[in-house]
Amino acid sequence: MVKQEFWNSRFAFIMAAIGSAVGLGNVWRFPYVCYDNGGGAFLIPFFVAIFTAGIPLLILEFSVGHWARGTPPKAFKKVSAKWEWAGWLTVLIPFVVAIYYVVIMAWCFSYMIYSIDLRWGMNAESFFTSFLGDTGSPLIIGGISLPVLLGLIAVWFCIFFILYKGVERIGKVVALTVPIPTILLIILTIRGLTLPGAIEGISYYLTPDFSKLGDVNVWLAAYAQVFFSFSLAQGIMITYASFLKKKSDLTNNAFIVALADAGTSFLAGFAVFSVVGYLSLSQGIGIDALGDKIAGPNLTFITYPTAIALLPFAAAFFGSIFFIALLTFGIDSAFSMIEPISASANYKWKITKAKATAIMCTLGFLFSLIFVTGSGLYLLEVLDHFIANFGLVTIGLLECLIFGWMFKIKHLRNHANETSEILLGRWWDILIKIIIPIILVIVLVAAIINNVINNPYPDYPSWLIVVMGIAPLISIVGASFILMKIKGNKEGKQ
Amino acid sequence: MDLPISAIIMLIFGSVVLYGGLAYFVYRAFKGKKFR
Repeated sequence: MVKQEFWNSRFAFIMAAIGSAVGLGNVWRFPYVCYDNGGGAFLIPFFVAIFTAGIPLLILEFSVGHWARGTPPKAFKKVSAKWEWAGWLTVLIPFVVAIYYVVIMAWCFSYMIYSIDLRWGMNAESFFTSFLGDTGSPLIIGGISLPVLLGLIAVWFCIFFILYKGVERIGKVVALTVPIPTILLIILTIRGLTLPGAIEGISYYLTPDFSKLGDVNVWLAAYAQVFFSFSLAQGIMITYASFLKKKSDLTNNAFIVALADAGTSFLAGFAVFSVVGYLSLSQGIGIDALGDKIAGPNLTFITYPTAIALLPFAAAFFGSIFFIALLTFGIDSAFSMIEPISASANYKWKITKAKATAIMCTLGFLFSLIFVTGSGLYLLEVLDHFIANFGLVTIGLLECLIFGWMFKIKHLRNHANETSEILLGRWWDILIKIIIPIILVIVLVAAIINNVINNPYPDYPSWLIVVMGIAPLISIVGASFILMKIKGNKEGKQ
Repeated sequence: MDLPISAIIMLIFGSVVLYGGLAYFVYRAFKGKKFR
């Protein structure tokens, strides 16, 4: 029989859940999405998304995992055997996210080393292009970038090393990898705020542009950001909650995890925008004029390093702690994306945790190789666009519909209330059954319409969008049904 | 350059909700003697 694993303490669970939720997304993605959606105005839909969908869904996932005492395939199967595929879909999505997420971490790993002597110098843009072996087009694959490949091997090895021993080791790792980057981020924020031009950057970050609130894309981005950032709809929180002991406070944990994650995003915005303001002043160009240099990977690997190089003193020190913070933020999220599928394989086929983890890390590494090539950056952006905007929202919707309508949501509410200090009322049922699904359907339909009308990648051929965006999503759904149909083992070893 | 009033309001609002809320729920966890 497979032995049930448990967290060492409530603290270990909270740290692991925060570690999973807080990742590159908070530092690398949040400021980018915030900039891309009107600066300060984005904070309003972001907060709305947190309280109307993020926290209620987090409570749902904690309750499901704790009630089912298992990974998503087991939890969905407990509702009805025919829904097991939805559980597999839920664990396959983070696995796919991990494939490209780890590549970004590999970039951070190399940059952490480069920051010792600020190797990017004053031309971070050409350095980044050279570092990636960027071919300038998604259609020209190019060669494999050796520094990225070495970083990739290091990160995948770390993930395996942390996961193969089970949740006890995870608990020990997150006790370090959650507080350390938070402290480093605070140091970076203080340094950023003392720079000239920082206030202008912060003003850009916080001043709300209310006209943006009428733009559906801003709301779509806010909900996608919450799903991505809270590690929602990825089976991670369900899996982590399944390792909780019987008497665990689920509701309070959900509030702590959600607010810690959102608080880190909010703080990261200060660290990033204060430095963006400094860069704007130093180079004599407006923040708006920075254009795509403030978006996506460019923000982290071009704009921020450029600003670091301009610092009057201790530039290498602040460069190092920036990338160490990114790496330590990211590693918890990365291994949490692999844990659900490893634990699910362990549950269904009774293969050992070490073996399941080794298989998943090897597969993940091999798939990651496509993003280590000269076209990796472009391919990564397309895949991330489709996974974040469609995959995560769809799974969130499935969770609400299956646990809200195919199962008595009252049972889950009662289950959470049995051990939680803060009691859930009927309002939570209404949120899970009606309000959140309606929001998610609107978000999903708007995204589909928007992508059909306004092609987000007009310069890319249609077949590339199909291959890197639509085909992976369809393949994941197909694979979910196949995994459901494959017969599991009833007995095995741990 | 000074921060606009609307930015200061967002700063206070964000800080109170996020960090105040976090402190409150951590406090409740400790108070409930369930932080173990």
